[in-house]
Amino acid sequence: MTIIAIVSQKGGSGKTTLSVNLAAAAEAAGAIALIIDTDPQATASQWGAWRADKAPEVIDSAPPRIQAKVDAAAAQGATFIVIDTPPHADSAASRAVEVADLVLIPCRPSAFDLAAIKTTVSLVRLFDKPAYVVFTAGPPHAPRMYEEAVELVRGFGIEACPHILPDRAVYRHGSAAGASVIEFEPEGKAAAEITELHLWTIAHVNMSTVAHEGA
Amino acid sequence: MSRFANLADKPKASPKSQHQPAAPGNEEGAAATTSVSTPPKSNSRVGRKAIAAYFTPEMSLAMHVCARKYGLSLQELMAEAFDDVLRKYGQSPVGE
Repeated sequence: MTIIAIVSQKGGSGKTTLSVNLAAAAEAAGAIALIIDTDPQATASQWGAWRADKAPEVIDSAPPRIQAKVDAAAAQGATFIVIDTPPHADSAASRAVEVADLVLIPCRPSAFDLAAIKTTVSLVRLFDKPAYVVFTAGPPHAPRMYEEAVELVRGFGIEACPHILPDRAVYRHGSAAGASVIEFEPEGKAAAEITELHLWTIAHVNMSTVAHEGA
Repeated sequence: MSRFANLADKPKASPKSQHQPAAPGNEEGAAATTSVSTPPKSNSRVGRKAIAAYFTPEMSLAMHVCARKYGLSLQELMAEAFDDVLRKYGQSPVGE
């Protein structure tokens, strides 16, 4: 089973968009995916309700119950769990990071947003978890800007995920329809990007798990 | 149909037929009619005062993570810190 925590102390960084679409990509690839929504605003849960709980399902959780829910979900067949966390939620974020195999930190490629990931980076360091920054909601074609953003991220002592999720209107249209981008526009660029990110995630988790087991 | 609905904290959009776990108000009323044989559930905040303060997200995170690391609640950690600072300034620790 794969457990991904989506954490960022900054609001509006695309945590829920990444959570639901990554889980949907896993489901499309044959996994039994589950989204655990720890955000009191319950945005992911709202998305789940809009789609009448069609897989991937969304369940809510208070921070202290995350571990128990992960265990119960695994016993009920879940193979890919994404934990969506609220901004500035120290308790939810630390519990999510604690149970995760991999932490993804969505971040807009702007100086303000990048400066705000320092706190999140210190959190993943404390728990010694593999973590990557995923650039979200930026322009699709701006290689120089992304190069600079990657450098800045490295300056914080963390790597950026090689796959980015640029701003695409289909995220808004899909969410409003209670759909993932893969369902809403299967042949679209956003669908291809999230599929690649999912494959990278799986490969990465397997790699680090094997490395840990070997160690 | 739903595989994981049983794991949700809040029941999902179900009709309002949930049996409520005895609201504190009801419990008190019941206790009053049956004299003091069933005292209301002890509330950890009774007779206590809240102390709140505003810190940076970094401080908040560091405190939560520290509490988690040592299996303490944030309140226990703060109580320890308050006692430490009282000692530091030559005051008697209160310890509770």
